Amino acid sequence: MASYLEARVEGDLRALLQQHDLLRTLVDAFGSPLNLVLPDQLVGNVEAFRAVHRDHRLAGQIFFAHKANRSSALVRELAATDAGIDVASLGELQHALGAGFAGHRIMATGPKSRDFLWLAARVGAVVNADSTAELTELAGLVAAHGLPPVRVMARLSGFSPAGVNVLVRASRFGIPADDLGPLWEVLEKYRDELDLHGFAYHLDTVGLPEKIAALEGCLRVLDEALERGLNPVAVDIGGGFGVNYLAHGAQWEQWTTELTSAVLGRTPPLTWNGHGYGLRNENGKVRGVLGLYPAYRPLTGAAYLDRLLASESPSLRRPLGSLLLESMGELYTEPGRALLDQCGVVLTRVEEVRPGPGGDLLIRVAANARDISLEEHGVLLDPVLVGGDRPGGDGPYGVYLLGNLCLESDLITRRKVFLPTLPSPGDLLAFPNTAGYFMDFSAGRPLMQPTAQTIAAYRDGGSWLWCLDEQYWPVDRREGTA
Amino acid sequence: MKYDSITEVIGDTPLVRIDQAVHGLRHIDLYAKMELLNPFGSLKDRAAWNMVRPHLAGAAERGDTLVELSSGNTAKALALIAGLHGLPFRSVTNRMKVPEIKDLLLLLGAEIDELPGRAECLDPTDTDDPLTRMYQTITAGGAGFLHTDQYFNDLNVEAHARGTGPEIVADLGGLVPDYFIACVGTAGSSTGVARALREHDPTVTVVGLVAEKSDFIPGIRNIDEVHEVGLFDPEVYDAIETISADDAIDGLLTLVRRCGTLAGPTGGGAYQGAVRHLRRLDAELTERRTAVFIVCDRVESYMSYVRERRPELFRQPARGNSVGTLTGDELAAAKVVGVADAQEWIVKDDPLIVDLRSAFAYRARHLEGSVNIVDELFGEMLQGGLPFGRGRPVLLVCPVGEKSARYAALLTRMGHPDARSLDGGVIAWRDAGAALVRD
Repeated sequence: MASYLEARVEGDLRALLQQHDLLRTLVDAFGSPLNLVLPDQLVGNVEAFRAVHRDHRLAGQIFFAHKANRSSALVRELAATDAGIDVASLGELQHALGAGFAGHRIMATGPKSRDFLWLAARVGAVVNADSTAELTELAGLVAAHGLPPVRVMARLSGFSPAGVNVLVRASRFGIPADDLGPLWEVLEKYRDELDLHGFAYHLDTVGLPEKIAALEGCLRVLDEALERGLNPVAVDIGGGFGVNYLAHGAQWEQWTTELTSAVLGRTPPLTWNGHGYGLRNENGKVRGVLGLYPAYRPLTGAAYLDRLLASESPSLRRPLGSLLLESMGELYTEPGRALLDQCGVVLTRVEEVRPGPGGDLLIRVAANARDISLEEHGVLLDPVLVGGDRPGGDGPYGVYLLGNLCLESDLITRRKVFLPTLPSPGDLLAFPNTAGYFMDFSAGRPLMQPTAQTIAAYRDGGSWLWCLDEQYWPVDRREGTA
Repeated sequence: MKYDSITEVIGDTPLVRIDQAVHGLRHIDLYAKMELLNPFGSLKDRAAWNMVRPHLAGAAERGDTLVELSSGNTAKALALIAGLHGLPFRSVTNRMKVPEIKDLLLLLGAEIDELPGRAECLDPTDTDDPLTRMYQTITAGGAGFLHTDQYFNDLNVEAHARGTGPEIVADLGGLVPDYFIACVGTAGSSTGVARALREHDPTVTVVGLVAEKSDFIPGIRNIDEVHEVGLFDPEVYDAIETISADDAIDGLLTLVRRCGTLAGPTGGGAYQGAVRHLRRLDAELTERRTAVFIVCDRVESYMSYVRERRPELFRQPARGNSVGTLTGDELAAAKVVGVADAQEWIVKDDPLIVDLRSAFAYRARHLEGSVNIVDELFGEMLQGGLPFGRGRPVLLVCPVGEKSARYAALLTRMGHPDARSLDGGVIAWRDAGAALVRD
């Protein structure tokens, strides 16, 4: 039986994928793989987050997590909005500045070199610090170079819901929320160099309860800071708003049930060499945890943020958004993939179609697994055969998608993919909704195979226009639409 | 009756016939096994007691801690038994999904360890799942843990093979029911009862119910999760069918409203699944048959579960003096005063300043001389009329001036001559550089 995982494709992305001739022309011109990004959709996604701020009456800022995509078109288009950007390296900071972000709209996060700290302080970015040692180093740089006071956020960690121990694995990042003595000391010692702007957390989880505990914890720390005569402004709740990649929840439920059955040996394998994605069979029982991103998630993006703000603080018994508003705090968020939902597609050319071992069909594309890093991020979705919706498709065909490296591990996805029509060499396979983390996130130049170029595509009236990513600027388009 | 220990009351629960007018089956007598009448409130009392009893001798002297991977009724029963014997109890769970039961476990003195949620940024190299790490901790030599292991422990099954099942047969006058319908959680009760029934009559039909994957039902596993349960054997069941959270609540409502049975969602799911399965058979039957399902636990711990999914069941009519009843005209007529004018008015007329924000926020910073009445509480107070004299002007303050404007409009409708709202709220006050104090 066919186990489709149809990708959720909407709006301009759907319309773009129907421009078969345009897509073929672009791949002919720029080669395979080819990244297409949709800057206008990013603007729409930012607005959805802004709407949640308005609904909850919360001031604040949305900082796009730059690491989700390195596209210049996306970052420049973002600079033309009122959003901010979260940069996690010196290179990203330079890229953001060059794209048009003034320093006050930039937040520096993650591990930071001294150069990174210096430039962030120089241009007036907010420095989101992971430790008191980082704050000390930053203060030293400010003093040594005669820089004005730097706005800092203190990233906290180790929150627990009331009455419960959460058995999280240790995180590299953040100051323990239950031992803030060293933080207060550093802020007091360097009050001429460091301007405490607020508190932050970033939890690597899809779970709301942990984020509720963290936001409540930050509100309490905010209160303690006020009591100490500090004047923090904001709480930064990080990212993790997620994307719903699949069109049908029932397909995801069915596929995960079938994976369980296959791992137990009750049905044939669904994956290359019976890969269990974290599940394994021990004496006829399933063990382990499914190590996949929950590809079907009804609550994601701005709606997830709205739900979090509407959730009640267990100990303060009030919606968290109301508590933040009443405390006169601002809300900062750092969405990554949620702002890139429906913003892009990777196009690949089919190079070979042949029978594989056991009767499965193998399709090799002119790309490798690092060009379309779905497998690396644990996301399963079906590619779209460009022009494959021609009538009379005689499928479905179960196929494995192979990359073009001479490595056994180079599979675009380990999952057996079902296609309604069998492609031929030269056909295009499109991997939709890949703008967030899946476009050459870790691509390199092994065996001198080409890495993808990036094209920005946008509508002009009834037409589709495009240009090279590095040549895209919002200037003319903004003037034209005014 | 006189007992030396509450554990002696476990088991021997009644079998109650469900009125045919309720279920509508013409050829089938449907019975509910009332496991909610166990002393700790659920079917799990049997399994918990049967699993832990052999290990209790000397446990307190050894300093053992009782531990189970449960966040529900098994944890509740074990916590109570542990307390009886002077032992600590530790619950390890993926997520305390039912807040009432979490509160209850804390009340009973349990320690709760929650496993972390799924990662947003997957690390494919992290193949060691948290549950495996917990098992390793528990089973490490000399760790001092007494792990009842309800998902793999055959004493769980035995409690029902030697207790629940034989009771059903005895109550039916030595006859075996034709159908037994059970929810699959640990699979202990369904497996044990099925074993007992088949010893008497191998032809009994056993139906297992699993939960739909899109929403959880407390105590019932979905079709993927059952494969993690050591006690689960698909051969036990003649059929496995799926029920939804909606089914469970529909069944719960029938049992509580028409059968005098305070069943929780698990019992509701069992009833609904049973009737749905039997209705298909009933149409073709010519002889009288019997069927049994289990009411596993009580409804009181699941108010939030039901409220979240069926808020209309708890709907109250709108009351008289409520901001919800204000008209657009009344709202537009609300008196609003800006920061500068408010400062002048405060000096001149000394209005009562009511801060509608939470106590948490008020304590941090507020207008000098203001009193704090949280908006919900203020709304309650107004139900009984004005809580202050009409001769005293009132300034209402909220974060951004919206809630305060609504309450100012309401006070005006209630006859107060001078109730005003601070335009822009306390945030505008702060942004204008006006003073805020922390007492």
